Amino acid sequence: MLRLTSPALLVLGLALLIPILLLLVQSFVVSLGYGQLQYSFTLSNYAEALKDPVNRSIAIRTFSIAAVTASACIILGYPASFFITFRLRRAKNLALFLVVVSLFTSYLVRLYAWYTVLGRDGLINTALKTLHLIDRPISFLLFSKWAVLIAFVNVFLPFTILILASSMQSIPADLLENSRDLGASAVQSFTKVVLPLTTPGLVAAFAYTFVLTSGDYTTPALLGGKQSTTLASIVRDQFVTFGNQPGGAALSFLMVLVFAAVYVAVSQTRRYKGV
Amino acid sequence: MSARRQGWVLAVYTAFVFAFLFVPVLMVVLFSFNKTASFTFPFHGWSLQWYRSVFSSPDYRSAIFASLKVALLTVAIVTVIGTLAAIAVTRYATRGRETLRSILLVPAALPGLFLGIALLSLFIRTKTDLSLGTAAVGHVIYTLPYFFLVASSRLLRFDPMLEESARDLGASSFTTFRKVTLPIIAPALIAGALVVFSLSWDEVLITFFTIGSQNTLPLLIYSKVKQASDPSINAISTLLLTGSLVFIVGVRKFVADLQT
Repeated sequence: MLRLTSPALLVLGLALLIPILLLLVQSFVVSLGYGQLQYSFTLSNYAEALKDPVNRSIAIRTFSIAAVTASACIILGYPASFFITFRLRRAKNLALFLVVVSLFTSYLVRLYAWYTVLGRDGLINTALKTLHLIDRPISFLLFSKWAVLIAFVNVFLPFTILILASSMQSIPADLLENSRDLGASAVQSFTKVVLPLTTPGLVAAFAYTFVLTSGDYTTPALLGGKQSTTLASIVRDQFVTFGNQPGGAALSFLMVLVFAAVYVAVSQTRRYKGV
Repeated sequence: MSARRQGWVLAVYTAFVFAFLFVPVLMVVLFSFNKTASFTFPFHGWSLQWYRSVFSSPDYRSAIFASLKVALLTVAIVTVIGTLAAIAVTRYATRGRETLRSILLVPAALPGLFLGIALLSLFIRTKTDLSLGTAAVGHVIYTLPYFFLVASSRLLRFDPMLEESARDLGASSFTTFRKVTLPIIAPALIAGALVVFSLSWDEVLITFFTIGSQNTLPLLIYSKVKQASDPSINAISTLLLTGSLVFIVGVRKFVADLQT
């Protein structure tokens, strides 16, 4: 058994475990700038990352955008998954296939596509102008936190729908019918049967979206304005622009701590639901 | 609200969700055929000039080749190590199964940024020159979990008795693998390989840190979008979309074969 997994484990060990350990070590050493390190133990990278008021406000912004994105994906995705799973019959596979197509549509193309919708001469401005609702194009649509939010939701919605749909598909159809036969209203059979059984999927979708959006720097870079720096872009700049790897490493481990907390919380709700 | 009304509301809501997913991308396709250099409205008429400029651009050509090299290398490595790992975890692991599964899925739970900077640190400290090869290392780590999931889901659903019978009839374990296991799981492996290819083909976050001076196609598009002045982005985007569509139809075909 070990013989067969060993190539994969070897690769993961060399290209995942060792780099992460190295990153961890670096987060505790002194940076001399421009990629130079002095190997003496210090906690100052963490202290600085936590003390910096700019970091703090950017952290709040990053995690709140991530939380709003994950919630919006659920709000949009849950009813859609419900409709696809329980109301569609012949079109069901086609609908799910379209979601998969969207999922595999290039991430960058989907980000860029919002230029044509939100841009100065984009779909929205043109529509509003044609309807004589505005005289001049609205310029705050693109390059704003709204654009970032919309693009994030667009990118992560297919994931959410697929996770939710698969958790709904595992609900036996007779369970719903039985609950109706026993006198439950549509709303009751939803809140007592569908919702509890899909909670693990819902929570997993939320956590996954939350973590991946908090770690993204391309969407804010392409669609956000000047005020759209996120934690990920700070880490990236520390590494690439300033050559301050210890500082970037410390900040990224603080992010990973938050992610770990999210995942632990998720596994707790699973246990609680007895799934 | 009556059940009928509810159904309608849900249908309209779902249609809106699908519109939200697809309208922006369809706009890109439309404007890739635009006659003038404007990115957006008004649409001036049909032309293939942006496709011509993509195909005649050496930048795009070298980026496409770089992307292809990285993706093919990634697919080759991941298919081998991922298949072995999936067989081990579904067939032989008894006690360590859950642990191994979790270890193999770890990279999917981490943001690309984190994988990228960790690998960059390794390459800096070991004085490894960044290249398409180091980018492929990043892609292997990133895509392995997805391949593993596709391959092991198929392995879990087929009857181990088939393998046992082959062994009982005197086949060696390698012959059993080649004549029994492999033909049965081949469609899943191909589907997995296609998924890996399309993930690698599209990767930005890790590639940015691990590639050095060369550009893959997504990195080139990224820099062009940042400069925001080149209508050929619409054309190359449409080509990318067509590519992933072909891939997904391919995956679907193999997955459909799986289910019969």
